[in-house]
Amino acid sequence: MTEPLQATQHEHASIGTYVRVAVILCIVTALEFTVIYIRRLTPILLPLLLVLSAGKFALVVMFYMHLRYDAKPLTFFFVSALLLASGIALALMTLTGDFLVFKR
Amino acid sequence: MATHEAALRTHDAAHARAAEGSGVLAWLTTVDHKRIGILYGSTAFAFLLIGGLEALLIRTQLLRPHMGVVSAQTYNALFTMHGTTMIFLAVMPLNAAFFNYIVPLMIGARDVAFPRLNALSYWIFLAGALFLNASFLVGTPPDAGWFGYANLTTRPFSPGPNVDFWLLSLQVLGASSVIAAVNFIVTILNMRAPGMTLMRMPLFVWMTLVTQFLIVLAFPSVTVGLIFLMFDRFLGTHFYDVAAGGDLHLWQHLFWIFGHPEVYILILPAFGIVSEVLPTFSRKPLFGAPVVIYSGVLIGFFGFGVWSHHMFAVGMGPVADAAFSIATMLIAVPTGVKIFNWLATMWGGRIRPTVAFHYAAGLVALFTIGGLSGVMHASPPVDLQQHDSYFVVAHMHYVLIGGSLIGIFAGLYYWWPKMTGRMLDERLGRLQFWLVVLGFNVAFFPQHFLGALGMPRRIYTYGVGSGWELWNLVSSVGAYVLGIGVLLFVLIAARSLRSGPRAPADPWDARTLEWRTSSPPPVHDFDAIPPVYGRDSFWREKYGDARGRKPAPRPETPDPHGIHLPSPSFWPVVIALGIGTAAVGALLHTALVVIGAGITVVGAFAFALQHHRDPAHVVQIGNLGVDHRKLAMWVFLGSECFFFGTLIATYIAYKGRSVVGPLPHEILNIPLTTLSTFDLLMSSLLMVLALAAVQRDDRAQSRLWLAGTALFGLIFLGFQAYEFTHFVHEGLTLQSNLFGSTFFVLTGFHGGHVTLGVLWLLALLVLDLRGRLAVSDSIKVEVAALYWHFVDIVWIVIFTLVYLLP
Repeated sequence: MTEPLQATQHEHASIGTYVRVAVILCIVTALEFTVIYIRRLTPILLPLLLVLSAGKFALVVMFYMHLRYDAKPLTFFFVSALLLASGIALALMTLTGDFLVFKR
Repeated sequence: MATHEAALRTHDAAHARAAEGSGVLAWLTTVDHKRIGILYGSTAFAFLLIGGLEALLIRTQLLRPHMGVVSAQTYNALFTMHGTTMIFLAVMPLNAAFFNYIVPLMIGARDVAFPRLNALSYWIFLAGALFLNASFLVGTPPDAGWFGYANLTTRPFSPGPNVDFWLLSLQVLGASSVIAAVNFIVTILNMRAPGMTLMRMPLFVWMTLVTQFLIVLAFPSVTVGLIFLMFDRFLGTHFYDVAAGGDLHLWQHLFWIFGHPEVYILILPAFGIVSEVLPTFSRKPLFGAPVVIYSGVLIGFFGFGVWSHHMFAVGMGPVADAAFSIATMLIAVPTGVKIFNWLATMWGGRIRPTVAFHYAAGLVALFTIGGLSGVMHASPPVDLQQHDSYFVVAHMHYVLIGGSLIGIFAGLYYWWPKMTGRMLDERLGRLQFWLVVLGFNVAFFPQHFLGALGMPRRIYTYGVGSGWELWNLVSSVGAYVLGIGVLLFVLIAARSLRSGPRAPADPWDARTLEWRTSSPPPVHDFDAIPPVYGRDSFWREKYGDARGRKPAPRPETPDPHGIHLPSPSFWPVVIALGIGTAAVGALLHTALVVIGAGITVVGAFAFALQHHRDPAHVVQIGNLGVDHRKLAMWVFLGSECFFFGTLIATYIAYKGRSVVGPLPHEILNIPLTTLSTFDLLMSSLLMVLALAAVQRDDRAQSRLWLAGTALFGLIFLGFQAYEFTHFVHEGLTLQSNLFGSTFFVLTGFHGGHVTLGVLWLLALLVLDLRGRLAVSDSIKVEVAALYWHFVDIVWIVIFTLVYLLP
């Protein structure tokens, strides 16, 4: 396995991309705000909001935090920690919350 | 060999750091990983003796029925302090001593990635340790058990400052551990000598790496649990208040999400030590080394999925019990693999039975006993019988003494010559080994019987005719023998330091790079970065591969920039002093908290400026092609995922459980929060624009966007201040109900992160305005930007889960 000793320059996004991402983030936030007032969307509100939120989260991480362009190990560290933390948080909610998945 | 020019530079560097001298001030300001290792080791050994003394008092009290050596109250304090001391002040920092001293040498580095942070870790550790033990001086030592179950630890049941000492010191010690862990992850991943790929790293380095990841990811959950406890005790919140809708299981989950990985944090370094000692004294490579590495990684990973086996008795239900039971049994597989690999390493080897080898082989035997009783606890029906009995005490000590401490002694006997330049007395060492091993087994094996006979843990005395008299007597006698064995090591060590034979560079004919330099190593570790020929590089260099074929000699790598060693710093001591003052203030007066926080903040700024003026390393890009600081920030953000994940999970788990209002839907102002969300999202845009401007050396733009980002951050804080004030007027406070407690703590900690980010940005802006933020400093802006964007994505999650979801 060869590993570089010198600095690896990673291309970052252009200013135009940063601005486009900001516009998308604003639009999605406005959407989130809007959908909670639309009664017909109530049955799918939870998954809808989670998807929109996850999309915003991913955009910031990929473009503003440059994971899309940076060294792959950084993505591995962050995504692994994020998944593990999410799994444990979900288990914690399941085991202590009112919405118990498992019968005691 | 190094060139003449390089040798001269070496000489200069050595002099620069040697100028630290050997006085008290030199040790207070040292940033040398070897000295910090010695500081960790000597402090931790002192606490090992203190924790041992507490254990002997416990065993004396239990020697016979109805003993009155100590009162019941004192007994509670003794077992609480014994457990806390041994885990956090003895075994963890003894392992840290080896991480500090040995890991940089093993990977062919001159120091760790962040030498000053390394010093900071030690001084914060010392502040936490002294603060915890100061509780004895004021007569209020912690007395609620080392895992401090709520609601025993809440104010109504523990009104004195005892538990405050415990929870505050654990917070301080946790900060020390996480800082050190980030440092060692970056060091190991980014500072290996050329040619040392991950799979060529020594096993001890691998186990250190896994341990550091466990620390970084496991500590946040107990930190959050302790924050809840601190808020309950000091500010009247309701996290562990059943009457207000709180759930006591929350503490148990948060503690054991940390607590079980903590077992591997304590044991994996010992596994690493054994994996170095056995091959050296068997004169064979470690059998199936890649499998041992993968097993260690698997143990670390599975370690996060088994915490609830500590809670089978609370009644989690059959599905949860079954899931955690299976996961716990699974973890025995990689552990068993390691045991068999160690046995296969010794099999057919030309064994030299040194004391270090004795201890390493002793671990294989004794840890197996502890591991087997652990598998028994994986079965919920069996666990219910053994729960809270002396059987569990026996199991735990077979793991933590039979595993961790025996492994640490193996490491002490193995690396002592390298660390001190003196040999230990092997003859007395054998006597010491047998005293420790016999004493340990006599002390703890009978406790299996006591548990089976129904003796509960933590009782301070027992009656005549209980059937426990004989085994308690035997156990106490064993504990005294164990104590004599540990004390004998102090004598052996003192004799060695005074008049022990001089140690050569490679006294054991060993296999790894630390033995390639003198004993003790020079201040700069190596005159030139050593060549790496494969796993067990030094052995291959001396004897070749399995067929005796020696590799073609490679030149050592002289540093192109000369040898640069960072200058000493007293700021780590100042910051630790500030943290310690704040902790004392929490018990005495708010003014002291403010003073302590002020000292800490000033110290942190001065610390950062010192790094800005005098970086630790000339080249900060390492093996992964990433700057040390950037890698460190990403690792820290992984830890933050756990921190905020736990806070958010608690908010959701407690949602709808408040027994009085106001409730979220009555009070949350979604339109206003949507505006503040826009504001924070736009601050992220300004932040990337600032970074781009710094990278292209556009000073006017960089100042504009840095100031803009800080301003947007301040506006967000203004929104939050308005929201909080409005809620208080509406009757929602931290104390009003469970919703108030969880909401204010979650959003408050996020606001605290934003505040820290604003301060960081303003500091960068000041540097820029003073013309001290060049293109080459853009990494500093990038690291700050990563933190800022993380704060932004945390808010994206909070906005959805707290405000928008019905």
